[in-house]
Amino acid sequence: MAGEPMAVDYYIPLIIFLIMGAIVPIAALAAIKIIAPNKRSRQKLSTYEGGLKPIRDAKIQYSVQYYLFAIVFVIFDVEVLFLYPWIYVYANKAMQQFMVFGMNYAVFEMLLFIVVLLVGLIYAIKKEALRWV
Amino acid sequence: MDLIQSITDFAVQEPAIFALIIGVVGAAVIAAVVNVGAMLVIWGERKVLSDFCNRFGPNRVGGRWGILQLGADAIKLFTKEDIIPGDADKGVYVWAPIVASIATMLVAAAIPFGALHIGGKDVPLVVANMDISAFYVEAALSLMAIAVFMAGYSSNNKYSVLGAFRGIARMIAYEVPMGVCVISVAVMAHSLNLVEIVQSQTLWYAFAQPLGFAIFVIALITDLGRIPFDQSEAEEEIISGYNTEYSGIRWGLLYFQEYNNALLGSILLSLLFLGGWQGPIIPIPILDIVSPLIWLFMKVVIVLWCLIWVRASLFRLRIDQVTDLGWKWMLPLSILNLGWAVLVGSYFA
Repeated sequence: MAGEPMAVDYYIPLIIFLIMGAIVPIAALAAIKIIAPNKRSRQKLSTYEGGLKPIRDAKIQYSVQYYLFAIVFVIFDVEVLFLYPWIYVYANKAMQQFMVFGMNYAVFEMLLFIVVLLVGLIYAIKKEALRWV
Repeated sequence: MDLIQSITDFAVQEPAIFALIIGVVGAAVIAAVVNVGAMLVIWGERKVLSDFCNRFGPNRVGGRWGILQLGADAIKLFTKEDIIPGDADKGVYVWAPIVASIATMLVAAAIPFGALHIGGKDVPLVVANMDISAFYVEAALSLMAIAVFMAGYSSNNKYSVLGAFRGIARMIAYEVPMGVCVISVAVMAHSLNLVEIVQSQTLWYAFAQPLGFAIFVIALITDLGRIPFDQSEAEEEIISGYNTEYSGIRWGLLYFQEYNNALLGSILLSLLFLGGWQGPIIPIPILDIVSPLIWLFMKVVIVLWCLIWVRASLFRLRIDQVTDLGWKWMLPLSILNLGWAVLVGSYFA
């Protein structure tokens, strides 16, 4: 495949790095299969809970308040995701001739978007959605 | 010069094969550099922390400075019995350290580790020089949170589960301000490519947007899970948090990746805000080629030293204080900083 370097070519090393990142710990885990001693007992395999026998399963149902954080996070993370492509619109020379209220069109649009989201954030804070319990 | 010319010719003619070769060589070299670097960071942290506490720190294995202490620790970890708790979710439990390792390697793939000054130009040392590498690195840094949650939740231990939940809550509270800070930098640099961000810093972004710098440092410490933001492994409250049930080399791998991340995070901080490898070229033969590397190295060492200083000086915040700080202060302030970056950046451009 000859010709101009394509954007895809930059991502080939990432796959190799992913494999490399898996090989190192897997090799270490394979090594301990050989090196490490193996004297099992039921006491060793029990879960640590301050020396007592563990009481019930640890996978508790967490407070629903916790998941509100996650919902608010999704909203704001999407905001950040929209900001990344926006940089290229903002940096584009051709876009800079469009003006609204004396400011760059791209800046104006993002200002509207962020103001709407900030109102949402204030609403979430006032509703105590972001209070740790 | 001929060699460099023929390499660039080959890169243009066969980009896919070139990327493959760069990937394999780069992965081997960078895995070695990052892992040795992380070992030195662990040793350095123990040494510096002991200086802060007015005690000796490692001083037996390998001479007065205890430089071989980590080798001894590694031998100990490798020869410990491999225990997977009976109640643990075995598949996820085994994969958590592997995912952590993959996460750090993915960060390392796109971070420029410096530059060489050849023929009056800075040649950046980066494997995957993507257009969106700042975005990519920020995304890959937060993959560590998934490994932490996998480790905590699969252990089936009450302390671990608490640590895992705290880790996720902390991560998502600071992910957004951190992303907005990266965007503020990109707005001033007019690019998301880390190499171009470094090259555009005639004035360090730490001075051009001090508020963004402060927010990014705090968000980075949170992402790395270090004091004052290490609620996911607060040993006084929840034993060891998410890695309570881990022992031997499995624990060692998780612990090691934290320091890999600390190293990569401080490189990222130096690149984004402290001018990266930019600095005056040292006018001595051979040294002038590596002088950008020397500058970056010095900045990274200073950043790491400051991270240890913070750890030695500050206390751990409560988890509700952490989420409050993140959502109610850092997020609005980071958006304020974005506005500042747009305003000031339009004067720079």
